[in-house]
Amino acid sequence: MWYIAKRELYDNLNSLRFALATVLLLGLMLTNAVVHLQEQPASVQKYLTAVTDARNALEARVDSLYELAQKGPGKLYKKPSALHFCAEGGDPFLSGAVESNHYFWENGDLKSFWQMRYPAATSNLTNIRPDVTKIDWAFVIGYVLSLIALLFTFDSVAGERESGTLRLMLANSVPRHAVLVGKFLGALMSVSIPFALAVLVNLLVFSTSSAVHLSIDAWGRLGIIFLVAILYTCLFLALGLLVSSRVQRSAVSLVMLLLTWVTLVVFMPSVLALIASGFSSPMSKDELRIRQKQINDKHLEEYRRVFGGPNSAALQAGSKYVTQEAAEQERLIEERLDEQIAQVQRARSITRISPTAVVQHLLESFAGTGFERHIQFLENAQRYAIEYRKFVVDTDRGDPASLHLMGVRKGMSEKPVRPESIPVFEDTLSLSKDFNTAAMDLLLLTLFVVVLLAGAYLAFVRVEV
Amino acid sequence: MLKTLIRRELLDNLMTFRFAAVLLITLLLVVANTVVLVQDYEQRLKSYNDAVKMHQQDLRNSKTYSTSFLFADRAPNPLSIFNVGLDKRLGNLIGIYHGFMPTLWDAQMHGTNNPFIAFFSSIDIVFVFEVILSLMGLIFAYDAIAGERERGTLRLVLAQPIGRGQILLAKYISAMVCLLVPLILSLLFALLLLTRSIPLSTADFLRIVGIVLTSFAYLSVFYLIGLLISVATRRTGTALMLAMFIWGFLILVYPNLIRATVNPGGDIQARVKTAHNQIQQILDAYKREHQKFLETEGIAGESSEFSKALGLYHQADVNPVTLMTYIENMSVISEIRPEFEKYVSVAKRYYNFVEPLVTRTTEKAWRIRKQALDEIYVKQATTDRVLLKLSPVGIYDAATQAWAGTDLSGLRDFFDAARRYRKIKIDYLHAKDAFASREWFVADKGPVDWRTLPTFTFQRSDVGTNAKRALPDLFLLLICNLVLFMAIVLIFIKSEV
Repeated sequence: MWYIAKRELYDNLNSLRFALATVLLLGLMLTNAVVHLQEQPASVQKYLTAVTDARNALEARVDSLYELAQKGPGKLYKKPSALHFCAEGGDPFLSGAVESNHYFWENGDLKSFWQMRYPAATSNLTNIRPDVTKIDWAFVIGYVLSLIALLFTFDSVAGERESGTLRLMLANSVPRHAVLVGKFLGALMSVSIPFALAVLVNLLVFSTSSAVHLSIDAWGRLGIIFLVAILYTCLFLALGLLVSSRVQRSAVSLVMLLLTWVTLVVFMPSVLALIASGFSSPMSKDELRIRQKQINDKHLEEYRRVFGGPNSAALQAGSKYVTQEAAEQERLIEERLDEQIAQVQRARSITRISPTAVVQHLLESFAGTGFERHIQFLENAQRYAIEYRKFVVDTDRGDPASLHLMGVRKGMSEKPVRPESIPVFEDTLSLSKDFNTAAMDLLLLTLFVVVLLAGAYLAFVRVEV
Repeated sequence: MLKTLIRRELLDNLMTFRFAAVLLITLLLVVANTVVLVQDYEQRLKSYNDAVKMHQQDLRNSKTYSTSFLFADRAPNPLSIFNVGLDKRLGNLIGIYHGFMPTLWDAQMHGTNNPFIAFFSSIDIVFVFEVILSLMGLIFAYDAIAGERERGTLRLVLAQPIGRGQILLAKYISAMVCLLVPLILSLLFALLLLTRSIPLSTADFLRIVGIVLTSFAYLSVFYLIGLLISVATRRTGTALMLAMFIWGFLILVYPNLIRATVNPGGDIQARVKTAHNQIQQILDAYKREHQKFLETEGIAGESSEFSKALGLYHQADVNPVTLMTYIENMSVISEIRPEFEKYVSVAKRYYNFVEPLVTRTTEKAWRIRKQALDEIYVKQATTDRVLLKLSPVGIYDAATQAWAGTDLSGLRDFFDAARRYRKIKIDYLHAKDAFASREWFVADKGPVDWRTLPTFTFQRSDVGTNAKRALPDLFLLLICNLVLFMAIVLIFIKSEV
């Protein structure tokens, strides 16, 4: 078996395809590293400036608790991932911040309170450059590595049968499964060598630069990503062996494999997602606007009933109007957001039929980018919003002179607030959480590999020489 | 003799597994995508229609001239199903206001139900062709000569009294006929699905014919690349490997590589800064004239009783990042108390002076802004596109976008139309003497009269213009074809059998 694997490997090392694959992978990974080195420091800098600006704007309002309570914590920014080069994960289509928008209406002394808003990414409005996918590891692995894996295996059985060497080999006392496993291992090694080389060059470029620093945690993630890439390669090698043993001629095998590849890798992920997202339709913008108006009208109505009454009652009613309206509006927006997220999640789970989509999801979750990461960010922001509100209420409670009426200037504490007591928003990334979302994908990928390997084995055992 | 050869090749190609497989896959992908794309188009059309209706409603209810918001809406392009291009980008909603000149970056987007859906890249019909047709061309070509040489049949054919050029021609013609079958069939299916729900005009059909012609030229380029490899190599195995790697490079790697490596060059910050300063000067001049008028009229400024009475709000500024110029002095007063009635004539004079000034200033600032933004962003995008054209995919994509009208020029037409409409609105206001009227700022007379103002319509450019934009790229594809064919003939004539 090892002998066969070695023979396959030597065969491949001298071939044209090995040279071409090495050049292609090296070129791509080098490009990836150079581009990342240019972009990453700038994006980190941008994030840090934005966070500082937001914090300064927040601390400028410490003189009045009412201002803090009315305007909210300002913009909250998503922390850029250090492993952005592994998977870009559609980040340009996900907005990098949530806003606590505070100004919707003004009614005499009353102003609407802040609510969390989830703006759409606006890069689409200004981008006129041609539309192409970014060269990240996900692209190199998902597209290029899988194609190379197929090109290394399409003729491994059919080709030997055509040239007659398969007959010779089986005439020796080698069991068939050993031949198959040997071929598989040989191909795996010959694909892994150029890939590992390319990855090493890529990481070498990073380690020479001082601008990008990778933590221990990041190295661990990179290791997992490499293993996922190997698993994914195995999948396509198994597919290649399966088709190659079923088909009489290597040319037919290649055509079949290429068409399967195009369907699985290029088309299936997005076509399936778009079909699946057509099944449900979240709340439309118009419906949202109508319901927002209804909520405001309802509370305004209640407020107007006591408006002319005694001062304290009006104050109380105003407080109720402002706070309850804000809470209800926020619930509405969150409801819409949940519907949107559910639609995307459904679509994403259906794309898992394609192994490329599975690997894309895996790389995204280990690189800390993409949709799952965006949801994590939104959850972090929502948790912070609760903390911030609690802070405002607690500060107000701490002042005995206050009437404890949220939402109206006269009803709240007028003491200045200590700037350092305002909670700080921290956007965290946790590996264990990522692992949970990734576990299913990992299992699915392993399942694909096992099924295809078993299929290849069965096909090869029954093959006629 | 040529006929016999062609017949032989045709039969050879049609009866193969690869032909059946390619046909099936192309049909499947095109049909599945068309269904999705038609659905998407209908949704965009609906949000366009809703927006137009809402804007008309708002206009009918507007009480003063200064706060009447007119909008230019862009309907989705039905041919975006073939090549989406920039159709879903750059925004489709522009506010029409005399103090604002839109550039490519100032449009907004009609609401979508779920902005996250943009996350899934949409696949249009041209993309399917880009990937599948090129692969098909190479698969059909790689063994055309090398295979015959290996089997020895090439020697037999050449023993007949026919020229080598004729053999190549026969192979080319028959393969192209075979390859056209999936192309035409899938397009027919797509059109069937399309016309059921989207009405297409004759001009649209002509544009589609243009797209088909371009697809044909593109397909031919890849077939010839395959043939070139086949002529130049001795073994089919080598030919195949080379063909596949060239395909991977041209289709997958090169376009993405270009985008990744070519970065906005030059000092953007400095360019923005100079433009910002220039615009600031224009605004300062505006502010001086504004102030001078107030002084000659004896109105001290925004804190005067006059301003308080009429709610005068005034702001002129330029955003240092987007270079967007803001000049705002709109106002709406629901009713004027009798004691302030004396100010109305002053206010009329004020607006009559200041609004034309705003118009002129905006136009001056726009010229600088447009030039700066063009240099910063458009130049970059144009360089990208030129570099992309080194791969046939780039040429094909550009040509089909031009046919469909979803390229940059097509979208620019919309912005030009919006600017023309702004001019129409200003002329209308002048004709009505609206700047000097009470309805400019007071809302006590009911809705203002916009009835005779023509509504905004945007006609996509006619087929001739589309053709003019697409033809250079089509010619480029044809030249590629010619060069490749000549190279093949030269190599083949000199090669040993």
